[in-house]
Amino acid sequence: MLFLLLLLMYFSVVISIFLGVLFFFPFYFMKTGSLVFWNDPLYIILITGFSLLLAGIHFWFSASGAVQSVMKSLGAIPPDPEDGIHRRLKNIIDEIHVVTGQTRKIGCFVIPSLSMNAIAVADLKGNAAIAITEGLLSRLTRSQTEAVLAHEAYHILSRDCMEATIATSLFGMYAAMLEKLQNLGEEERSGLHPAFFLFWILLKLSQMLSMLISREREYRADAASVRMTRNPVAMAEALHLISRNWRGSGMIGSGLEMLCIINPQENELDESEGFWSTLMSTHPPIRKRIDILLKMVRVSIAELDRKLNSGTQTVNAPSGAAEPLYHVFDLKHKWQGPYALAELAALPWLLPLTWIRSGNDKSVERASENPLINAIFTNRLNTAGKEVSEFRCPSCKQSLSEIPYEKTKVYQCGFCRGVLVDNTKIPRIIARREKECTERIKSLAKAVTTDNQRKIAVKKLKKTEAQLKTLTSCPKCHNPMLRTFYSLAYLIEIDRCGFCNITWFDADELEMLQCIIENRMTATLD
Amino acid sequence: MEIWILVAVIALFLLWAIFTYNQLIALKNEVKNAWKQIDVQLKRRHDLIPNLVSVVKGYMEFERETLEKVTSARARAVSTAGLREKVTAENLLSQALSGLFAVIENYPVLKSNENVLQLQEELASTENRIAFARQLYNDLVANFAIRIESFPSNIIASIFSFRKAEYYSIGEIDRSLPVADLSTRTK
Repeated sequence: MLFLLLLLMYFSVVISIFLGVLFFFPFYFMKTGSLVFWNDPLYIILITGFSLLLAGIHFWFSASGAVQSVMKSLGAIPPDPEDGIHRRLKNIIDEIHVVTGQTRKIGCFVIPSLSMNAIAVADLKGNAAIAITEGLLSRLTRSQTEAVLAHEAYHILSRDCMEATIATSLFGMYAAMLEKLQNLGEEERSGLHPAFFLFWILLKLSQMLSMLISREREYRADAASVRMTRNPVAMAEALHLISRNWRGSGMIGSGLEMLCIINPQENELDESEGFWSTLMSTHPPIRKRIDILLKMVRVSIAELDRKLNSGTQTVNAPSGAAEPLYHVFDLKHKWQGPYALAELAALPWLLPLTWIRSGNDKSVERASENPLINAIFTNRLNTAGKEVSEFRCPSCKQSLSEIPYEKTKVYQCGFCRGVLVDNTKIPRIIARREKECTERIKSLAKAVTTDNQRKIAVKKLKKTEAQLKTLTSCPKCHNPMLRTFYSLAYLIEIDRCGFCNITWFDADELEMLQCIIENRMTATLD
Repeated sequence: MEIWILVAVIALFLLWAIFTYNQLIALKNEVKNAWKQIDVQLKRRHDLIPNLVSVVKGYMEFERETLEKVTSARARAVSTAGLREKVTAENLLSQALSGLFAVIENYPVLKSNENVLQLQEELASTENRIAFARQLYNDLVANFAIRIESFPSNIIASIFSFRKAEYYSIGEIDRSLPVADLSTRTK
């Protein structure tokens, strides 16, 4: 129903624009002598037909490929099968396919952003996809992620999302253009552009659409999610966590908010009740949503709050316990090392009969006698032929070994402990908090950023141009890498290769970067 | 004239009968398919368990008993046929598995082992899939039962002797299964 209404509205807008254009520019027709074209029914039919055709073409193209275009605009990428957390996402989507009897194929994407939100898109071609941000994926537990994805899947299955997607693909484009024009206008004050007015009308129309998209559907989707996962608390927890963090305003463009689990923009309208806000807003108050969910299990919001807060504290508590290091007696009868377990696994000449000396107690034993190292051989059988990467450490010139880090894979040098990270993986590493930040890293990060801040300040005072330093060569393509700061807000020096899109972090630099962002540390100058 | 009315009524009745019959057949096959889906997921679980056991074995010398319980429960679940027996065997397997996971919690080496974590995630996912497949199956069985028992489709159902399918009900033990605990621990 809504679908037809949308179409009608869209056509009427396009027709009126066409008639308007013809009305304001009748010069051409005056020349040809047909001044009375207004009264000619054939002419009007022609114009109407033409504008309908144009509208139809635009409509078809913008709505049929909506999944792709929305995902592209968000920079979403398909999940990485090598990555533990992404694999979990894929599993959960498969589980949803099971519960719906495989009636609808739902794709999944990951948005490389620290914000917490999830979005569901469906289009006329029958494609449907759920995209979830790295931030949300990393900070929710499995059952909470299940609840969020079930909520989004319901939107797709109930076709809520189809209407919303069409609406956004039709009007969202204009909204984005208008925002850009507004930004331009503020800088130059070049007067009112005629296009500005046009876009403004379309934007207002798209905002009126939110009247048709009722709040009820969010309640319904919450209920459907509980019906599937049988776990109202997980849904409530997820909503609670999302509402307290950055929801992605600014990152998720306007016009897409009705597709998200929570409105990226925090506004008064959403949180209030009454006739007007119910009519105008797309999302119901979060407090009410959580309340309904918690009533199912008779828990109060205060209790939930307490539980979640205690949860985060235990996560942040340092557990200590350093990773054991080993020395290995190699084929040339020399002691090598120390190696961490992951690097030990990467040694091609390590056999169950090789002598090893563990760093802690200096006792010598066969590798097979140590249960930890023995597991390497089981592991090696599982993943044969993929231990040592072809990349070499830029400073030590030794092979890098692939190690699991924050549920994804990075390449680490066993000697200097620098790591090589694919640029696409950096956002998700930053979003994840499995690796806790120790006191040593914290103080180191503080010292380094303060020092760098001072250097920048000195440079500014002396007015010297920042020089591009190239000190190391890329492990992949051997071109020189560029030494820069990660960003001006996070003053950690890194080496970037512009050709291969990879970044080299020296020892501790990646941990420092994570620590700074996680704890919102800033450099202080005295 | 009257004859034509009679013919029309009979024709309408026949049409309705064919329509209802086809609907019942469709429902019956959906139920069958849903049952096969449960089987697929159960098989997935049976295939995963030997992997988990082989990875865990080396570390858990003292937990022979727990591991044997899992292995024997799996063997029993694989070999049984028939709905009732299958349900009880699978419930026993679920119980044995949750026991194993509880034991794994006590071994920090295992908890941080990438392989074990991955297998644990796969098993958690499979537990969910089994539960979801069961949900779907039971929903379809309920739909089918409603069609068979409600008037007027019950006439056709009794003529062609459609029988209600059996629910996949969870036993008393299964209700205490800590699947949620397992899934929430990946923090």
